[in-house]
Amino acid sequence: MSDLLQVENLQKSFGGLTAVADLSFSVPSGSVTGLMGPNGAGKTTVINLVSGLLRPNRGHVVLNGERIEALPPQHIAARGIARTYQNVRLFSGMTVLEQVMAGCFLRRDTSLFASFLGLPAANAARRAVARHALELLEQVGMAGRGDDLAEALSYGEQRRIEIARALGTQPRLLLLDEPTAGMNAQESDGIGRLVHSLRDGGMTVLMVEHNVRLVMDFCDRVTVMNFGRALTHGTARDCMAHPEVQEAYFGRRDDAERIRALR
Amino acid sequence: MSDWFQDLWAAYRSTLGFAMVNAFFSLSTYAVLSAGILSFATVTYAAAGGFIGTQLALQAHLPVLLVLPASALVGALLAFAVALVFLRLDSHWMALASLALVLITRVVALNATPLTGGVNGLSVPLFFPFAALAGLLALTAVVFWRLSNSWYGIAARAVREDPAVASTLGIPPRRIQTIAFVVSGAVGGLGGMTLALMLQFLSPETYFINIAFTMIAAVVLGGSYHWAGAILGACVFTALPVIAQAVLPEFEKVLNGVALLLIMIFLPRGLIDPRGWKLRRAAKSP
Amino acid sequence: MSLFIEQLINGCALGSLYALFAIGFGLVFATLGILNAAHGTYASWAAIAAYWAVDQLGLPFPFAMLAGVAGGAVLALLVDQIGFQPLRARNAGLLGALITSIACWIVLDSLADSATGHQSLSFPLPAYPSGMIHIGEIQFATMQGISIAAMLVVTVGMHWLIRYSRFGAAMRAVGWNEAAASLSGVNPRRVVMVTALLAGATSGLAGVLGGVTTQNVSYTLGEGLMLKGFAAVVVGGYDDVRGAAVAGVALGVLEVMAAQYISTSLRDGITYALLLGFLLVRPRGIFGGVAFTRA
Repeated sequence: MSDLLQVENLQKSFGGLTAVADLSFSVPSGSVTGLMGPNGAGKTTVINLVSGLLRPNRGHVVLNGERIEALPPQHIAARGIARTYQNVRLFSGMTVLEQVMAGCFLRRDTSLFASFLGLPAANAARRAVARHALELLEQVGMAGRGDDLAEALSYGEQRRIEIARALGTQPRLLLLDEPTAGMNAQESDGIGRLVHSLRDGGMTVLMVEHNVRLVMDFCDRVTVMNFGRALTHGTARDCMAHPEVQEAYFGRRDDAERIRALR
Repeated sequence: MSDWFQDLWAAYRSTLGFAMVNAFFSLSTYAVLSAGILSFATVTYAAAGGFIGTQLALQAHLPVLLVLPASALVGALLAFAVALVFLRLDSHWMALASLALVLITRVVALNATPLTGGVNGLSVPLFFPFAALAGLLALTAVVFWRLSNSWYGIAARAVREDPAVASTLGIPPRRIQTIAFVVSGAVGGLGGMTLALMLQFLSPETYFINIAFTMIAAVVLGGSYHWAGAILGACVFTALPVIAQAVLPEFEKVLNGVALLLIMIFLPRGLIDPRGWKLRRAAKSP
Repeated sequence: MSLFIEQLINGCALGSLYALFAIGFGLVFATLGILNAAHGTYASWAAIAAYWAVDQLGLPFPFAMLAGVAGGAVLALLVDQIGFQPLRARNAGLLGALITSIACWIVLDSLADSATGHQSLSFPLPAYPSGMIHIGEIQFATMQGISIAAMLVVTVGMHWLIRYSRFGAAMRAVGWNEAAASLSGVNPRRVVMVTALLAGATSGLAGVLGGVTTQNVSYTLGEGLMLKGFAAVVVGGYDDVRGAAVAGVALGVLEVMAAQYISTSLRDGITYALLLGFLLVRPRGIFGGVAFTRA
């Protein structure tokens, strides 16, 4: 299995604060890779670096052999990386369908002039985009909700729309930043199954996830971070057994006992 | 009955004319605002379009119907140049910089005497039928309607709401905003020329900061999330002083200001608000 | 030579007014995120208040000045609470506050015009220090000295307040992110109100000084200050008191020197050409450079 994404010695600091310090890991093609770590480990910063919203101070991000860390986000999107956001960032005032159509910008397939004049070819392209957007909504389980105002929907529904919007760019690599935050077990499993179906369709997924059970169930591989570095890589089960991971996640054994004593 | 109508027409004909001219300016302001940019540079495009258009008519004897597209072209080219410089700034600075550009425009207009007539101004002895003005505005509205329905429309909305998210979807924010600037410039240049035709006189004071401020107010008042809001806002904003003058001539301006203040506080998203409609619809249907 | 130095002092005095105006304008822009079109009207009304204090109440000049400054501050607070406070709850952003500030500007300007009886008033002669200060061969008006001194005091005081005091830290926190500021124990409402008061007071000070030195008490006083003070904000950078002060004084000197040595008709042109140059070359102002984006 070759690697679709390689992160090499990535470093990013904000002022004096180092969010990512010398991080290296890779995402195998066709895998669902989990990125775990305690709060403040730098996971979201990694997603921002890979998607181009931030530029690293040092190090490389390599997509399919091409270095992309210096490219602007729109060029990275065009090369096949799409993402969602930890605290859902949908466009205010847009309907569900419009959100997804905005995500389909890269496949508009017609010049502005043709689109402006409403030439038959442009109209056909627009209809094709709308059809595709509807299919994506169906895929994420939001069929029939296209005309609703996205901000009037529930949090879980908004997360699904955000995934559909990201899928609109036809990514090879999908970055999900805590896709199940604030969801109950049933909704989370739904997201997990969706991720699996995307993988089975040939997509590669890198997801930041807190929920250990979900990572165990749905991730093929896991990278665990702490203090901006990779602690360990491997299968979910191996990673969770790693003593440093245990410590990072659950604190030291004696800490845990002390906390229990406090209760 | 017909006499009554004729009187009314005579009294408010010019008000309607100015409302239409103002609609060009507010559409120009809306064009950039709809891509997330607060810019006052419409005044600059208008001055360039107005003065150069007028000179083309007076010196080169170009017919008015050719002068108008020329004015739009002048505005568009100028706006493109402005975009190259301004799009490097962040939004707060861009607003300030465009305000500065308006001040600079006036000084340039005052000193470029061969083009503008300097302090003495420039008389514009050209005739432009009322119906043609209405037709031109209708044509411009069609352009905005088509733009809002093209892929540009949805991309511009995305950039306005969240440029960072838009860029991760492959939408290039600066390119979208450059298009917005060019559209703004073309419509602004056109508006500048129609104002010249309407006033039949131009001076450096014609295109000044008051246009910028009233037009931005008109757009927000009418609703800055739909092109029709810009036109409606311009109409209301042109009518408001006329009404205020009829009601309380002594405090006409105070009344204007208070009305604007109240509308802004109670209708912050303007008179035409597609999002509000959708929200109400969502609230009704279970 | 003495002519040159006298003109330099003239320029500094004029520039001090621009600087005072720019400091308040920039303060509101950086802390509250408001592009306040009504900022100039505080100056006009402060000058009117000081004029009334002299003319109607017969107060001595220092008290008249104080009345003007207090008037500007109170007016700024009123505008903030009526025009801007209702929008804060709605997150209307830069645009909403700009529109209400335009509304307040229209109202206050036209009321000021009525208050001065649609004309320009001037302070009666014995009411203010009208003498000249002589230093060697050089002489300049006492009021010019007062203007420069006032600008220096305000600049140093304001810079200290923002950079080094606890309250200044709170102001910067609010400017950075209001929600985060309130989480960290800063009371944003209080910061907002004090910021408005300070801005109104500095604009008022510029208004009183300008009203006396230019012999013009009317709504046009504030508009004139606005157009030039605004240039100082752009050249100096709105998030730095020192920048606004230096830029204001520099613009004043440039204007006077241009009128003296180049041409009177070009003096505004030179100011705005400089403005354009800065926009192109150093868009964030003299001291600018730190990325500062409001969340």
